[in-house]
Amino acid sequence: MARPRSSNCEEEDLMSANPSFPNTGTPSAQVESGKPLLLVDQIGIAFGGLKAVQGFSLNLPAGALYGLIGPNGAGKTTVFNLLTGVYQPDSGEMRLESRSLMGLKPHRIAAAGIARTFQNIRLFPGLSVLDNVRLAGQLRSSHGLFATLLRTPAHQAEEESIRNQALELLALFDLQDRANEPADSLAYGHQRHLEIVRALATGPKVLLLDEPAAGMNSQEKVELAQSIRKIRDRFHVSILLIEHDMGLVMEICERIVVLDHGVIISEGTPAMIQNDPKVIAAYLGTASEAV
Amino acid sequence: MADLVQTLLTALAIGSLYALIALGYTMVYGILKFINFAHSDIVVLGAWISYALAIKLLPMLGLNPHDAETAPPLWVGAAILLAAMLLCGLLGFAIERFAYKPLRRAPRLNVLITAIGVSLLLQNVGQLNYVFGASPQKMPALLPNIDLLRLSLPGGDGYREVVIGLVDVMIFSTSAVLMLVLEYLVYRTKLGTAMRAVSFSTDNASLMGIPVDRVVSFTFVLGSMLAAAAGFLYVMKYPGVNQPAHSIWVLLGLKAFVAAVIGGIGNVRGAVLGGFVIAFVEQFGAFYISSNYRDVYVFALLIIILLVRPTGLLGSPVREKV
Amino acid sequence: MTVTHSAPEIATSQSGPPSPRAGRRTSVWSGLWPLAVGIALAAVLHFVLPRLIGQYYSRIVMDIGIAMIMAVSLNIVNGMTGQFSIGHAGFMTLGGYAAALLTYYGSLSIWGTSLRHGGFLGVGEWMFAVSCLVGGLVAAGAGYVVGLPSLRLRGDYLAIVTLGFGEILRVVLQQTGKVIDDAEALKAAKWSQFFPPPVGGAVGFDGVPKYTDLFWVYTFVTITVVVAYRLKHSSLGRAMISIREDEIASQAMGVNIARNKVLAFVLAAFFAGAAGGLFAHEAGVILSPKDAGFQRSFDYVIMTVLGGRGSITGVMLAAVILTALPEMLRDFEQYRLIMYALLLIIMMLVRPQGLFGIHEVWQLWPGRGPRTAKKKT
Repeated sequence: MARPRSSNCEEEDLMSANPSFPNTGTPSAQVESGKPLLLVDQIGIAFGGLKAVQGFSLNLPAGALYGLIGPNGAGKTTVFNLLTGVYQPDSGEMRLESRSLMGLKPHRIAAAGIARTFQNIRLFPGLSVLDNVRLAGQLRSSHGLFATLLRTPAHQAEEESIRNQALELLALFDLQDRANEPADSLAYGHQRHLEIVRALATGPKVLLLDEPAAGMNSQEKVELAQSIRKIRDRFHVSILLIEHDMGLVMEICERIVVLDHGVIISEGTPAMIQNDPKVIAAYLGTASEAV
Repeated sequence: MADLVQTLLTALAIGSLYALIALGYTMVYGILKFINFAHSDIVVLGAWISYALAIKLLPMLGLNPHDAETAPPLWVGAAILLAAMLLCGLLGFAIERFAYKPLRRAPRLNVLITAIGVSLLLQNVGQLNYVFGASPQKMPALLPNIDLLRLSLPGGDGYREVVIGLVDVMIFSTSAVLMLVLEYLVYRTKLGTAMRAVSFSTDNASLMGIPVDRVVSFTFVLGSMLAAAAGFLYVMKYPGVNQPAHSIWVLLGLKAFVAAVIGGIGNVRGAVLGGFVIAFVEQFGAFYISSNYRDVYVFALLIIILLVRPTGLLGSPVREKV
Repeated sequence: MTVTHSAPEIATSQSGPPSPRAGRRTSVWSGLWPLAVGIALAAVLHFVLPRLIGQYYSRIVMDIGIAMIMAVSLNIVNGMTGQFSIGHAGFMTLGGYAAALLTYYGSLSIWGTSLRHGGFLGVGEWMFAVSCLVGGLVAAGAGYVVGLPSLRLRGDYLAIVTLGFGEILRVVLQQTGKVIDDAEALKAAKWSQFFPPPVGGAVGFDGVPKYTDLFWVYTFVTITVVVAYRLKHSSLGRAMISIREDEIASQAMGVNIARNKVLAFVLAAFFAGAAGGLFAHEAGVILSPKDAGFQRSFDYVIMTVLGGRGSITGVMLAAVILTALPEMLRDFEQYRLIMYALLLIIMMLVRPQGLFGIHEVWQLWPGRGPRTAKKKT
């Protein structure tokens, strides 16, 4: 059960020494210095007797693009659910820019700056493509009841700017022409794109992508890889992605965390991961694994 | 002391009725995950079928159905109970087959609305003049009005009598027998195992070769039969049979549902526990605080339980898969 | 939210030049004209309709208006937010009692009688209008209390809680005291007579002044419809609809589902309470505890189901049909609820999204509005 986490030892020490973890500065300062943006320390959760995730730690710097891989049922999506507040960790600590995320409701975590996509697409099927994005985009604007009911000029201007931002984001994946169609009328691949756009619209600092390439052909995967890089650079978000397509992961991720049976079995650069016997064993199984 | 014992005895009899009805709600919820709103109307139907049969049968035996003093032999009551259970079981089967089965894959809200529709339908068809009619009737006495036991206990200024009537004992024992049969069915037979498997996961159960449709039908039949028994026993205790759409039935059904929720919906033993808890709260509240607000206590209890322990007393927490 | 935006592209678009759409319509008038037009139409209706179709049919038109307020407001909870309330008549009755309490005892203590009216837009009518709003606020308070458990309950449990609310209210109202008949008795009344309020108990609240007319009913219809429409086409309404579509995704996108659910409940209850005020002051109506019961609630549930979840014009149309039809078929009263029941079951089997689904009536003509999804509710 080795957990090579050499990279974040320092930060961990700092955290345990000082629970309030001093603010390291504005987001832009962090981008330059590469300081940790999302710091996860030893979180875990058990469902009844099943320890779904145990002692998961992660140090995601600003602007990073990391991968989270592992065999089916390893607990990858559970990690996402923990990070976004769908489940509350039983133990550990998670911080976004020194602000603790423990105990926050999912909508507070979204407001704090973590957005996600879902493995089994969860768009709002009855809403239009545009409205799916607008819904996420309105997170950072106030919309009071009385301003809404009276349609004040300020309210109308706000709605207009949400709409424009949404259309702009849709253009990322050439979806702007289909803005008025119901979300569930899109083809599968486009629905996955729309999920990414919708997550981006919340204006996140960290973007969690859950199997963004699932169900895509190889040409689409190549384009997706480019898009993910582009998004990271253009929006200055850190990305953590779960993906089964090893080609894609190895190509675009700077570091990779490997999860098996709820624990991290390896972490490192793609080259390190590819040659780690523990990872190979987890995927292919070995005599010792079978015992 | 006398008051306490008397209230306790009433609560036991009423509690077993609630438990019988709650079992139907909880079984259907456990398997199909929706509230069978029409369940309370099966209870009503059980009561009205019992009434209709008694009115027809007693004259054939040379008895006056409106004579409260002389009761027919015991087997008449048993036969009427069985007939009501059978008819309601059939009806439960038909409702499931024609109204709910086509919606097996539909959103739960749709099924709930359908259930409300079925409930409205049963109520209002029952109220038609050539069915049961829209006026209350008096249930003939099927049990002799005997007091099994009279106890003198200290209470008030001196001693007061506590009476244990045959009706209360019959209600309690009939319910107890039915619940034991159900307990055996659910936890000791192959069919019961199949029911629990379907309740755990419909899809997995069908992959394992369990005939899901048949299990669901069986659940409805079973629940409806218990409801019919409850309806029969209810009019034994309270012979004034209100018209099918009367709000007293709605409240009866609601309270039984509350019992199922309080016990932990989907849990067979929880429903029985919940039935008695509700009856105790209601009866003691009615006696010691004010009988005008007896329904309010039950709902207050529901709200408290839902806020403190949303899964009920014996329920286990469920997580939605993301 | 104080969180700074980390995406420069988005940030610039915020401070960029306003688009042509934003430049349009920015006066206060743009917020108010639909209300003004609606109220003007209500006044026209009030003076013209009784002469055209007579008192009897005008009365039905009034009933239709009240049903519209109920159905459209219930649709905010059931249709837009995807919750399932079946105790809407409870809010209506509560609001009705609150409003009637004010006008009845207000009239008695000011004018010594509850029979005085004071003419169109006279003092009495204003008191009545304010009472309706107060009735709405009281109901909204109850909506808040009933809505709170909805944060922890899934849809079908909530149905039980709302049904229970209506039934409990009915039981509680039956325990209220006798109505105090005249001004003398009111002056002599002790404080203890007001707890519980003297609103007639099981026999109902008799003697409430009859203020309700077409003008006020359709003024409130206008307000309800404008509010529902604006809600539907705003960030707030979008948040509510997203809860209906997928709660998990909704909160992952930053929607505070607790706040929005309760808001939907409070808003719907407010309009139901106001409708209750209108109902209580309608000629020929004696408000009674049984109005809070489930039977009346089901009428409104059926209107929302039939009209379409989230379609404002759809449920308005359903309110018209389901209010007018029974009047036309008076002889078949005992079959009315059987028909409703069959309608519910068949709708769920054949067209579960309601006649209009999420669309408004004018979106059904080809080429208007968003394209219809193949099948999805």
